[in-house]
Amino acid sequence: MEWVETTGDSITEAKAAAVDLLGIAADEAEFEIINEERKNIFGRVKDQARIRARVRPTKPPPKQERSDRGRGRRRTGEGGRSSGGGTKSKSQGAGAGKSRRDSAKSDSGRPAETKAKPRPKSEPARPRASSSADADHKGESVTESMSLQRQGEVMSEFLGGMLRAFELEGRIEGAEVDESTLEVNIAGPSLGLLVGPRGNTLRAVQELARTVVQRKSGGDAEGRVRIDVDGYRERRRTALSAFATEVADRVRETGAEQALEPMSAADRKIVHDTVTDLDGVDTISEGSEPDRRVVIVPAD
Amino acid sequence: MSVDPGELAAYRVCKYLVQSIVEHPDEVKVKVDDSGERRQLEVSVADGDMGRVIGKRGRVANAIRTVVRAAAVQDDAEVDVEFLD
Repeated sequence: MEWVETTGDSITEAKAAAVDLLGIAADEAEFEIINEERKNIFGRVKDQARIRARVRPTKPPPKQERSDRGRGRRRTGEGGRSSGGGTKSKSQGAGAGKSRRDSAKSDSGRPAETKAKPRPKSEPARPRASSSADADHKGESVTESMSLQRQGEVMSEFLGGMLRAFELEGRIEGAEVDESTLEVNIAGPSLGLLVGPRGNTLRAVQELARTVVQRKSGGDAEGRVRIDVDGYRERRRTALSAFATEVADRVRETGAEQALEPMSAADRKIVHDTVTDLDGVDTISEGSEPDRRVVIVPAD
Repeated sequence: MSVDPGELAAYRVCKYLVQSIVEHPDEVKVKVDDSGERRQLEVSVADGDMGRVIGKRGRVANAIRTVVRAAAVQDDAEVDVEFLD
């Protein structure tokens, strides 16, 4: 899985941005802090916090490899956070799952060093040698994990059944966004119910669809499948971006900062991204979830 | 008052979602309780499947609740979803 690099006025914010970029929940991501934010004497962020994140490999690698790879890591990683770069992640799986996961992420290295891909139970055993050598895992992951295509099918089937249970009319369409992202859109005239206030229902649907895929793939599915309802995400992005631009123009003219209403991390990111590209204005975030909001401020 | 549960979108959606996630879909039971002020769906599943339904930090359970509540809009009645151990 690809790493993404994001910045934010705080580590928390950078993580939120990364999570949105990856389209996943925070506890499914693996983070590496590149540098923390630096503030000037007025408390305004001078240098943004920068982190790196990727979708954490969902299934721990086979035991044998783990002990190999983990050798010498234990001591430094014991305190939870190892030296310097500090991989930190909110892993909270129950019992055994937790420690396995922790060890799986503790040696996260450079982006190129993709973690060895575990085998799904259903597939015949493959030679182990290839997986411990950190060579090119790209090809390997394709054969070993549930393909993106197959995930799309599983999700489409799940969503189709859900539509029937709702007794809603809709058409399921799949489209490839890039080589590791598939988008499944439910198209139909009256599907607002599936979007919900601030997209809450859509997020829940996404969560459940992902859960279904995880169950079917034994937790080993590569890439991301994003769900949309009748182009909601794209429309939301466009509308929010236009709105943020309007507010930013006003802030620039009046010199008075303006706070926006609380938004989800995904929506805040849209605002940050939009305003960052504009001159004379900046964004900061304040408050804590779920009331975290973006404030558009005049640039220093 | 007794309603045929199959008539309720909330019931159908709830049952469908839970069955999609568990290992033993045949053992999923959803009971509609209309005795209280608010309609309640009581979900029970096979031993060992509850963890799947709840998910890490209750994430899956909460997602189920959110989607079932959306479905309940079609029934014109709010619902609570309870997962019974």
